[in-house]
Amino acid sequence: MNPYLAGTLLGLVLLVSFLVLGAGLGASGGIARAGAYLQCCLLPGATSASEYFGSWGDQPLRHYLVFMFAGVFTGGLFSAVLANRVAFKLERGAKAPWKLRALLALGGGVIVGFASRLAAGCTSGQALTGGALLLSGSLVFMLCIFAGGYGMAWFVRRQWHD
Amino acid sequence: MIKTMFGLDALGSGQAFLLAFLIGCGFGFALERAGFGSSRRLAGIFYFRDMAVLKVMFSAMIVAMIGMCCFLSMGWVAADQIYMMPTIYGAQIAGGLLFGIGFVMSAWCPGTAAVGLASGKLDALIFLAGAGLGAIIFNAVYPVVKGLETLGDAGIRVAWQDLGMSQGSFAFLFTCIAVACFWGAELIERKVARTGAYLGTPFLRAFSLALLVLAGGLWLLPSPSISAPGAAAPFEQALLGDVAAGEDHVEPEELADAIMQGGRGLVVVDIRTPGEFAAFHIRGAMNADITELPAVLAPYAGADRIVLYSNGMTHPAQARDSLARMGYRNVYFLTDGLQGFFERCLKPASLRGEPLGPAEVERINAWRAFFAAPGTPVPPPPATSPAAALPPAPSAPRTEAMLLETSRLAGDLARGAVKIIDTRPQPEYNTAHIPGSVCLSPESVRGVVAGVSSMLMPVDVLARRAGLMGIRPEDIVAIVPGERMHDATLIGIALDRLGHARWGILEGGIEKWAAENRPLTAALPVLPETRYPADGTADTFTVDYRRVLEIVNAKSALILDVRPREYWSGEKSDEARAGHIPGAVNRPIDEDIAVAGETPRFKPVEELAKAYAWIIPSKDAPVVVHCRTGHQASQTVFVLRRLLGYTNVRWYDGGWSEWSARPELPVEKGT
Repeated sequence: MNPYLAGTLLGLVLLVSFLVLGAGLGASGGIARAGAYLQCCLLPGATSASEYFGSWGDQPLRHYLVFMFAGVFTGGLFSAVLANRVAFKLERGAKAPWKLRALLALGGGVIVGFASRLAAGCTSGQALTGGALLLSGSLVFMLCIFAGGYGMAWFVRRQWHD
Repeated sequence: MIKTMFGLDALGSGQAFLLAFLIGCGFGFALERAGFGSSRRLAGIFYFRDMAVLKVMFSAMIVAMIGMCCFLSMGWVAADQIYMMPTIYGAQIAGGLLFGIGFVMSAWCPGTAAVGLASGKLDALIFLAGAGLGAIIFNAVYPVVKGLETLGDAGIRVAWQDLGMSQGSFAFLFTCIAVACFWGAELIERKVARTGAYLGTPFLRAFSLALLVLAGGLWLLPSPSISAPGAAAPFEQALLGDVAAGEDHVEPEELADAIMQGGRGLVVVDIRTPGEFAAFHIRGAMNADITELPAVLAPYAGADRIVLYSNGMTHPAQARDSLARMGYRNVYFLTDGLQGFFERCLKPASLRGEPLGPAEVERINAWRAFFAAPGTPVPPPPATSPAAALPPAPSAPRTEAMLLETSRLAGDLARGAVKIIDTRPQPEYNTAHIPGSVCLSPESVRGVVAGVSSMLMPVDVLARRAGLMGIRPEDIVAIVPGERMHDATLIGIALDRLGHARWGILEGGIEKWAAENRPLTAALPVLPETRYPADGTADTFTVDYRRVLEIVNAKSALILDVRPREYWSGEKSDEARAGHIPGAVNRPIDEDIAVAGETPRFKPVEELAKAYAWIIPSKDAPVVVHCRTGHQASQTVFVLRRLLGYTNVRWYDGGWSEWSARPELPVEKGT
């Protein structure tokens, strides 16, 4: 799809979210709460006693962002099936070893999961949502994402070598 | 006006969950359509191969921004209906840099990974597992990193305010940048990957034009108010409307009459220097530096009118507008300043050029008698002669400023600017309470100190308790009274001991709140713990039995015993000894309360002022208030200090329980 039109659609969804929920889009909150839920199942005492997850209560999954995350998956699945784009694979450069790609995906995931807790949001909840509201901190966050990304890009380029 | 789930405090409801799911579906659909189910495509931006991330993100941001600016400016939705993330520079800079590193390594971000997973991408699954683990690690090391999480907390800030621009001009500038990025991105794609399919196409021209025209249209709209913590701004247009309609100032004659009629609900603030203030000020005014106004006025947010004055009008007018942006709707400035007050109120009738009727002459004479000592010439404007000294005026009665109106609290609450302590019993709290409030029994601030029971806890214990309730020194604390007003005032006196002056009692309690259909919930509040500093020097009002004994021996203060009359007289006793401290005067706390409905209310301030004027010789006379254990006495201390403006009130916490149990202390019986 034309990226500008896809972006416009995304912007309209965000606008609806502001006007209906009173909050923008978010994705990392859902993942973090799933993490908290998992830890709750394994170590219930330690989780409710911990300072950060503890403030989410005994049922961290009872939160609108968890449902939104489920929606993102569902909407994405619908669109991918519609476009016949579902394919089970580990995306990487043709010459890149799969272990390198898997390791970078995991390491990057850990960093992203950590960073989005620190900044209380990710590209959706902080950069896109806060950017649309013209919030100072969110715009600074967005610039820093690109600064960090471009600064690191050279070091991890091998995973895309064909 | 649109009411959002956030504004209704219903984000935790099943309805909101369903709506969030549906919105999420739209979100996921749009991401997948954009091609973000592919990590390779996402990573493209960092190698200048495929700039789709930039195009999609900026398009979405600009479209939503134009929509939101429009809705906010037109007043179709209020800023307090939208959850706005605070700006915390430290956390957002560190988090953003880290996030960027993680983003380019994994080539996923949380939202796109969900779509990637739906598209069958294994690397998305690995990424999501990693991100969950990252959150768990964050939780584990939270005690270490929480300092960073709040580093550089600047509250809710919007870029256009920070840059001193209007919303319209910033939005247009931002849109120009976005459009430039679109063209730049296409150009880069053409050079690096020989794609750039949209470069120079009619579509991109039309799309750019449409965004610029729409964003340009925002210039026609006024900037909305964006709330900042601690205070929220009214709509800028309302402010300008006030200015245009002259509703931002008070005429000198009107102010003079209002003060002479008792100044009920009126706070007059002189923002000149202390030296000028000492030389002359309008009777009843208080002195504050212009920079201190937000702090000084916080307790008076519920006053009917706050009038600022200086020699001229510029500074008070600017301060008034600034305060209005912070959410004060009740601030005015004095027309023509103090000079106008001299000219129009205090100038003797005989010196005036215009012919005056007898009624006008009488009015001028009344003003002169009240504001300037009779017979003395009008002091010249203090700017030219600061030495023209008049005796200092008594401070203004503080009326109901320390009782918080429900409407005021509702406003503060919507902006998260207030911490609420509910003193009702736990079952009532559990059934329904004001969102965000905590339930605190007054017993939890009392205990055994040095062998005496029911003493207010020392400051370090209270500071810890305040921290556990998430209270910060700059917070306004609203106390919700239950059936006993003195439960609320005891919590208040605990805050006083902490040096936390910014508290008030919710007028009419939950009963009035509920009757006005304001939000109630049974949900637990989310209150991150804070570290409240324990300042042991704030409590200068508590006295112990030794000090009271000195006072009794020297007869150096009035002892006010607020227990029921039969206990004071000694007819009844459930203590070690019956009677009262020698010389103590009795005024039971019930006499200050007018009961209406379930929640007690104070009698009107004028009535209380009259009653205490009979008992206490002057506003600065030394008074020691006590009861049996200090609990009930806290209510009288509140009445005297906060409502009536008595300045020399002490609180004997140990009270009759301690006094009667120390056999060496003297006791008097009978009436």
